[in-house]
Amino acid sequence: MVDRLERLTDLVLVLLRDQRPKSLREIASEVPGYPTQEGEARRQAFERDKRTLRDGGIEVTAMPIDGPEQVGYVIRPEDYYLPDLDLAPDEQAALNLAVAAVHLGDPSGRDALWRLGLPASAGARPVAELPALPALPVLHGALRARATVSFDYRGERRRVDPAQLRFHGGWWYLVGHDLDRGAPRTFRVDRMEGDVAAATPGSVVLPDGFDPDAALPDVPWRIGEGALVTVVVHVDAALAALVLDEVGQSALAARHEDGSVVLHLEVTNIAALRSWLFELGDHAEVVGPEEVRADVVSWLEAVAGSS
Amino acid sequence: MTTRADAGSRLLRLLAVLTWLARQGRATVTELSERFGLDADELIADLELAACCGLPPYSPDQLMEIIVDDQEVVADLGTELGRPRRLTAAEGFALAASARAILAVPGADADGALGRALAKLEAVLGGRGLLRVDLRDPANLALIRDAADGGKQLELQYYSASSDRESTRVVDPVSVRLIEGHWYLDGYCHNATGMRRFRVDRVAAARLTGEPACHRGDEAEREPDASQSEAFVPGPEATVAHLAVDDDAVWITEALLNSSSEPRADGRTGVTLAVASTVWFGRLLLRLGPHAEVLDPPELAETGRQAARQLLTRYRSNATS
Repeated sequence: MVDRLERLTDLVLVLLRDQRPKSLREIASEVPGYPTQEGEARRQAFERDKRTLRDGGIEVTAMPIDGPEQVGYVIRPEDYYLPDLDLAPDEQAALNLAVAAVHLGDPSGRDALWRLGLPASAGARPVAELPALPALPVLHGALRARATVSFDYRGERRRVDPAQLRFHGGWWYLVGHDLDRGAPRTFRVDRMEGDVAAATPGSVVLPDGFDPDAALPDVPWRIGEGALVTVVVHVDAALAALVLDEVGQSALAARHEDGSVVLHLEVTNIAALRSWLFELGDHAEVVGPEEVRADVVSWLEAVAGSS
Repeated sequence: MTTRADAGSRLLRLLAVLTWLARQGRATVTELSERFGLDADELIADLELAACCGLPPYSPDQLMEIIVDDQEVVADLGTELGRPRRLTAAEGFALAASARAILAVPGADADGALGRALAKLEAVLGGRGLLRVDLRDPANLALIRDAADGGKQLELQYYSASSDRESTRVVDPVSVRLIEGHWYLDGYCHNATGMRRFRVDRVAAARLTGEPACHRGDEAEREPDASQSEAFVPGPEATVAHLAVDDDAVWITEALLNSSSEPRADGRTGVTLAVASTVWFGRLLLRLGPHAEVLDPPELAETGRQAARQLLTRYRSNATS
């Protein structure tokens, strides 16, 4: 009985070395471990190996050939080998440190270093942890291939020409052009439901002047499509300096003698503003406009009164 | 012996080892198992198996030349296996995202070695500028990072959301890390005489005391005291709370590192989380509003109502109409 790992290893070598598509009969005669009888069992064993290789990023290409079987298989060098990156030693070291310092929640970065033949740095201190999501490599691949993507989002199928994948404020976002709405849109990647499907490479057509960098504002209350309201917020002296550092000096409308500050915030997402405001506890208060203040009060009344 | 991985991942691992060996020619078993994070027995077994692989007719001259003994592996594998394999989508993403994240750390040198490495990587992968990482840059981050790197003691004006108080603390910094979008300082707090975790964007002011940091964080004291870190890690003093949230409040299961969730029969989501501070929990309940209900314990249910009443008092006393 030939070990499956041995069969897979031989299969890779046989399909890679000659660069000539080989029929399944040839493959079975060259690679030990396939059923000796021609037929369904052999076909299934080969299909299973092909799937295993594809899952590992090794694409087996089927091509028409002469002869009774008509289909041959080959691993094309361009599908197997990494083009030479030509990294200088200091660049290799920097890439190593970056992978060691960033935790993405799975070992892909370390695996990639293996591929490049670079030693992993064990001693580096972690600097950042970014969430890993199964959709991220798919979206990144679609961006590189300029392929339109589709996915379920808030119960609706969305078709989007992707322009950028962006980590911002602790979340991953896809920035793109929504084909059905005909407008730029931003999507939280962790809120995409189920699998992301990518269409044919090259299908993306972004409108002229599309600027993905402009898509995400720095503050959560600008991420939304509501009407723009200038909300006036009073913040106590205790948190004034920290809040100003967060929202930026341009929001400062007045500074009082007791150290408290008045901010003018441009808001398109009242729910996000409310959430941010309540994190400040009773150190912050909406002064106006009256309808936003009333919204906050009725929210608080709902919490205070619920039993 | 550890559990054997499936044939597919063993193959990828083996190909990685062979690629490296093809270039090196020889390596000790210890070096290989450390470099690739593999159990030495597993590594030897897979390499011995690989020594039986090759091309038909599988005569000795057509097999891969790998000689394994207890200490050393010697290989002559030719050029095919010496060239690195293409990156999978996940690997390409991980490399590019890691490099982008480090370049986004305030103060990073975009034109340095890492920037050049990323440019070469993106040239090969395709897709310049498709990935962007924004990291916050709170006012005192640079000073705190320098202090941590240089082993210098800090004095911080720190606002703690769990106690709702600002205090002055003398801290020996151990590490500065970005977690879930926020920068955190882990360090030995002289006031609390223990490891603590601080959010850098709640540091109102920071200065160097001029003293070296005497606690550099031994393994034993490396983990910050959980009860002091705002429901970050459940500690002995934390209370476990059970909530039921509707769809508008499900975000908390993503936003809180330390929560677990499960679907409930009534269509809402059950959330279990550790609460180390009632001030913090009260504010969380305000944010969740009518979309969350505290199921247990009952005294924590009162926390949200109390926080709401307290804030309402402020609004009513300042009523303009």
